[in-house]
Amino acid sequence: MKKRPVKLVAAALICAAAAAVAVIGTVYFRFISQRIYEDSTGHLQEIYGQVNRAFGAFVERNWGLLRDWEDCLARGEDGEAAAFLEEERDYWGFSKFYLLAGDGSCMTLDGDRGTMALEGVREDLARGGRVMAGETQPDGQEVTVFAAPASPGNYRGFAYEAVAVSYTNADLVDSLKVDAFSGKARCFIIGSDGKVLLSTQTGGNVFADYLAYLRAASDLDGAELAALQSDWERGASGLLQCRIGGENCCILYQPVGYQGYILLSAVPQSAVSAGFLSVQHTTIYGLAAIFLLVGTVVVTLLILRSRSQFRRSRTELEYRELMFDVLSNNVDDIFLMLDKERERAEYVSPNIERLLGVPVEEARREIRVMEKCAVDYDVVIPKSELDAIPLGGNMYRECEYMHQTTGERRWYRMTVYRMSIRQVEKFIVVLSDRTLERQMNQKLQEALDAARSANEAKSNFLSNMSHDIRTPMNAIVGFAVLLEKDADRPDRVREHARKITASSRHLLSLINDVLDMSKIESGKTSLNVERFSLPELMEELNIILLPQARAREQSFTVRVEGTPPEYLMGDKLRLNQILINLLSNAIKYTPEGGNIQFLVEELPQSAPQYAKLRFTVRDDGIGMSEEYQKQIFVPFSREINSVTNKIQGTGLGMAITKNLVDLMGGVIQVESAPGQGSTFTVELSFALPEQDAAGEEPRAGAAPGADAGDVMRGRLFLVAEDNELNAEILTELLDMEGARCEVAADGRQALELFQHSEPGHYDMIFMDVQMPVMNGYEAARAIRACDHPEAKTIPIVAMTANTFAEDVKSALDAGMDGHLAKPIDMAAVRETVGRLLGRGEQ
Amino acid sequence: MRRKRTRLFSILALALSAAVLLASCGGQKSGDSHLTLTVLGKRSDLGKTYMTRIFERYETATGNEVKIIDPEDSEYEAEAVRLFQEGKGPDVFMHFHNADLNRFDVAADFRYLNDQAWVDDLTDSARAYCTDSDGNLLGLPFWESSVSGCYYNKTLLDSLGLKAAATQAEFDTLCQALAEIGYTPICWPADGCSWMAQFGLDPIFADDPSTLEKLNDHEIAYADIPAVTDLIQWIADAAGRGWFGDRYLNTGWSDISSTLASGKAVMTFIWDTWFYTDLEEGGKYTVDDFALMPAFLNTAEGGTYEGGNLNMMMVNRNGAQVEAALDFLAFCAQPENYNAAFAGIPTVSCFKGQTTNIQSQMVTDAAASIAAKERVSTAATRIEGYSGDDVAAALNSMFRGETDVKGCVKMMDDSRLSRTENG
Repeated sequence: MKKRPVKLVAAALICAAAAAVAVIGTVYFRFISQRIYEDSTGHLQEIYGQVNRAFGAFVERNWGLLRDWEDCLARGEDGEAAAFLEEERDYWGFSKFYLLAGDGSCMTLDGDRGTMALEGVREDLARGGRVMAGETQPDGQEVTVFAAPASPGNYRGFAYEAVAVSYTNADLVDSLKVDAFSGKARCFIIGSDGKVLLSTQTGGNVFADYLAYLRAASDLDGAELAALQSDWERGASGLLQCRIGGENCCILYQPVGYQGYILLSAVPQSAVSAGFLSVQHTTIYGLAAIFLLVGTVVVTLLILRSRSQFRRSRTELEYRELMFDVLSNNVDDIFLMLDKERERAEYVSPNIERLLGVPVEEARREIRVMEKCAVDYDVVIPKSELDAIPLGGNMYRECEYMHQTTGERRWYRMTVYRMSIRQVEKFIVVLSDRTLERQMNQKLQEALDAARSANEAKSNFLSNMSHDIRTPMNAIVGFAVLLEKDADRPDRVREHARKITASSRHLLSLINDVLDMSKIESGKTSLNVERFSLPELMEELNIILLPQARAREQSFTVRVEGTPPEYLMGDKLRLNQILINLLSNAIKYTPEGGNIQFLVEELPQSAPQYAKLRFTVRDDGIGMSEEYQKQIFVPFSREINSVTNKIQGTGLGMAITKNLVDLMGGVIQVESAPGQGSTFTVELSFALPEQDAAGEEPRAGAAPGADAGDVMRGRLFLVAEDNELNAEILTELLDMEGARCEVAADGRQALELFQHSEPGHYDMIFMDVQMPVMNGYEAARAIRACDHPEAKTIPIVAMTANTFAEDVKSALDAGMDGHLAKPIDMAAVRETVGRLLGRGEQ
Repeated sequence: MRRKRTRLFSILALALSAAVLLASCGGQKSGDSHLTLTVLGKRSDLGKTYMTRIFERYETATGNEVKIIDPEDSEYEAEAVRLFQEGKGPDVFMHFHNADLNRFDVAADFRYLNDQAWVDDLTDSARAYCTDSDGNLLGLPFWESSVSGCYYNKTLLDSLGLKAAATQAEFDTLCQALAEIGYTPICWPADGCSWMAQFGLDPIFADDPSTLEKLNDHEIAYADIPAVTDLIQWIADAAGRGWFGDRYLNTGWSDISSTLASGKAVMTFIWDTWFYTDLEEGGKYTVDDFALMPAFLNTAEGGTYEGGNLNMMMVNRNGAQVEAALDFLAFCAQPENYNAAFAGIPTVSCFKGQTTNIQSQMVTDAAASIAAKERVSTAATRIEGYSGDDVAAALNSMFRGETDVKGCVKMMDDSRLSRTENG
């Protein structure tokens, strides 16, 4: 801003200097021109003064010659005179010599007679004057005659009173011509009236009356012409300027000195001053050339300097632009510069193509192409809003863009700055990438939500667990107190013991479900896929659930549609768990007298090595609200109403069921309405065994209805159990079954006892897993590896609180033959012993 | 004016011809000693006042009858050739001087007239027009004639303090002096003024008949004659120097009158009778302001005049009434008869005893110069294939810058040869 006044001052100084140069130049050249005019007209006067003097001398010489020749004529014979004058003509160059009579007749020396008009001067001649006149000869040739009176004489019989010589005008004008003035000068001998006697006009004289010519052709007015004529009549000299035919001319006139004749020269002024003008022009051109040269040098230097600065600026600009391009290519922020008036992009950072899929050139041509990327058109800022930004101010908004080719969404914070660059307003737009921040925030929010949810779940879990554990524990503790109080009343003791047992079982199932759920959710659950019999599974379900349904006087129907394969590959245990959960709930939430239907059907399956089955459990029980159906598979969720409040449950069954179905790649759906029952459908795919084992007898197991007491009675078990209390309980329980046991405090003791035992001494080994010194797995492997004769055959059954399937698998992998979970369920013990020892005995 | 007057004469001639024909058809007296003389000529020519006068005078004086055969101008030549070829030629045949007789067998068809008594009464100029190259007098000149040259506004020139030129150099000087002070030296309309260049061609061929012969024999062309190129070069230079003014390309025949009468132009190349027939009346300058000097077109240092073109009356050698025809010509050549016929007619005299015609002062004043520098119209009448229009077209092409001097001369040659080849 401060530079502008400086520039103005500089411009003013330059203008003033130029004006001063122009004024000085004009004054100088006017002065020079005037001097040139004065010098050149002086030169003109000098030249024609000489011409006039020469012409005067020529005339004077003729007078003298005529006088001499007259004497010659008077003294000599005619023939001699003629010969003499012939020689004189050749010498002096006149054309003819005349003898003139008083009546106007004339005769040449050759005797040719004629007349000579001597118009206007005859009287002067008669009066004794010497005259000069123009004559046109019979052949049309124009001559000038010089005549002088002579003593009357006679030549060849012709009486003469005067003598004359004539010169052709063409010859005469040579004496008037000057080489100066570029041949443009015209010289005339004119009478005082302007009549032209001689002219140096190239090609011949066409001027008759120069005064008339000036009157018609020049810009001289009447007064000037009258003054001119007056000068001529007075025999005055003069010099004037006038325009003839659009050209300035110098008219110089001076008297010849005879009969009022005037020598007049007319020269174009340009020719008069040509030489001086040449000098003037050379001076002008020289000065102009110097000024031009200096100016050119200055301008060239300025241009070079300007170019150098421009190049530097441009290089710097290019460098900055390159650096900015590189910078912008390595960041995810987009930069735009828009011209406010033209509404077009002047700069678009090249990363726009990478980030939004918009080609840079396309964006530079039409910035509105970015609107296509906008996910929400609210991000397009109206012009009015842009115009409302104060100069130097800015505005911002959050916006979401979608990549034009990949569809990737990105979030930006758009900041628009309104700026003025060299009086031109610009909008600088910075799209600051917030995608990572946004994604991180989302993840944080999700994590927060998850944490909150987990915390809430944990709180709910603890609350539920507290409630659900305290409820059976309350019964156990309460009835234990009553048991002690009523120890002497056997019927009350049995009643209290039965209720304590029931509460314990419920508590145990709760613990099992919680652990199972925890296992599933932690992703540690795996399926134990093996060949199983579907009819057998159905039979087992029927055996388990039919008594429960009957107990509630419900009808329980099992139906198979189609011809599902008999043998399938799958985790029978988990499938059993799923179906038992569904059927148990159906029985549980269906009032007495209700109906429970269990339908198994085969669905179409494209792959021949697979079978797809749908299991449908339908009841006409209490049903579920629509809201509860949405969270039926959420752990610990239970619908709260007057009916369900009376029904015992952990709230984990459906969650476990859903997770197991998911684990098996199946689908579970529910349709229900309050008071209208519920229908659960589970669709699962099973691989078919490679060899159909149809007809193969199922593996031996505990024979239904076998006498468990007989199985246990008289048996000797080696029990590896580090916990003395558990060892005592097992010892008592086995004792109650008529069996005995020897207890080892850890795996090594158990190994040693076995190694040192006689063959057949022990019937079976119950092996705890988590023991000091040597755990159960190691002990089992050691037993199988020892050299005892029964090392490979003695049944070893894990009896442990590690109850997950992996634990079962680990036990089997360690060489054990079965797995029993703690707390000890003697029915399960009997069934396992019967299965293992019965098989061996068979 | 001239055209209007010509048209008027044509109508009058038609009427008279019709009257004569009717009279001859109805008034022929069987066994009468009076005879009927047939005269063949162009309809427009035979309708001229002086022609009707002489016919009437002859009929009155002799009692003979003149039977006019006057085909349309366009059919005239073909009809005449046909009649002569069929042996049905008229007693008297009117033809435009001695040119273009190549379609006739001159020696066989026409009687030479050198022996006639009236020959000595002819002016030299008129006699020259009627004589062939062998000196045989072919016909009796009986026509209005004029002198072509450079007519200049003497009044204006005097007022400018200038005088007429006597040489080509002076003429050029005069033109330049006039141009310098803003006058148009020469009125030279480009359109319809084909004769101007023709005046310059006359000296080339009239002064050296062998050149004309070689040209017509196609031994040489215009391009081979330096004087022709000099002529065209001078015209080009004159136009370039502004001697024709600045509007010459857009002016024509009709503009000459106003241009001269107003004094815008000082000189032009034309003929004297034009001033009586066409010069605009009421202009600043009248015929009395003009004078005549030779035409200077750079082909004759002293300039040139072109003599008037003349119609002549020829006698059919094979006609039935040769003597009667000769008598008719003798009747026409008698001073009282031709003076009666040409009384009041503006024309240059064909007969030395011709006194009643109006001869312009311009021609009279320049009589000596005319006598010294007059040439017969040679280019238009003797150059085979010559056409003034062709020359004008070539010049105009040069004026418009479409061709140069050399190209202009070539165009003139090409058009001349083309016309020659096409008959």
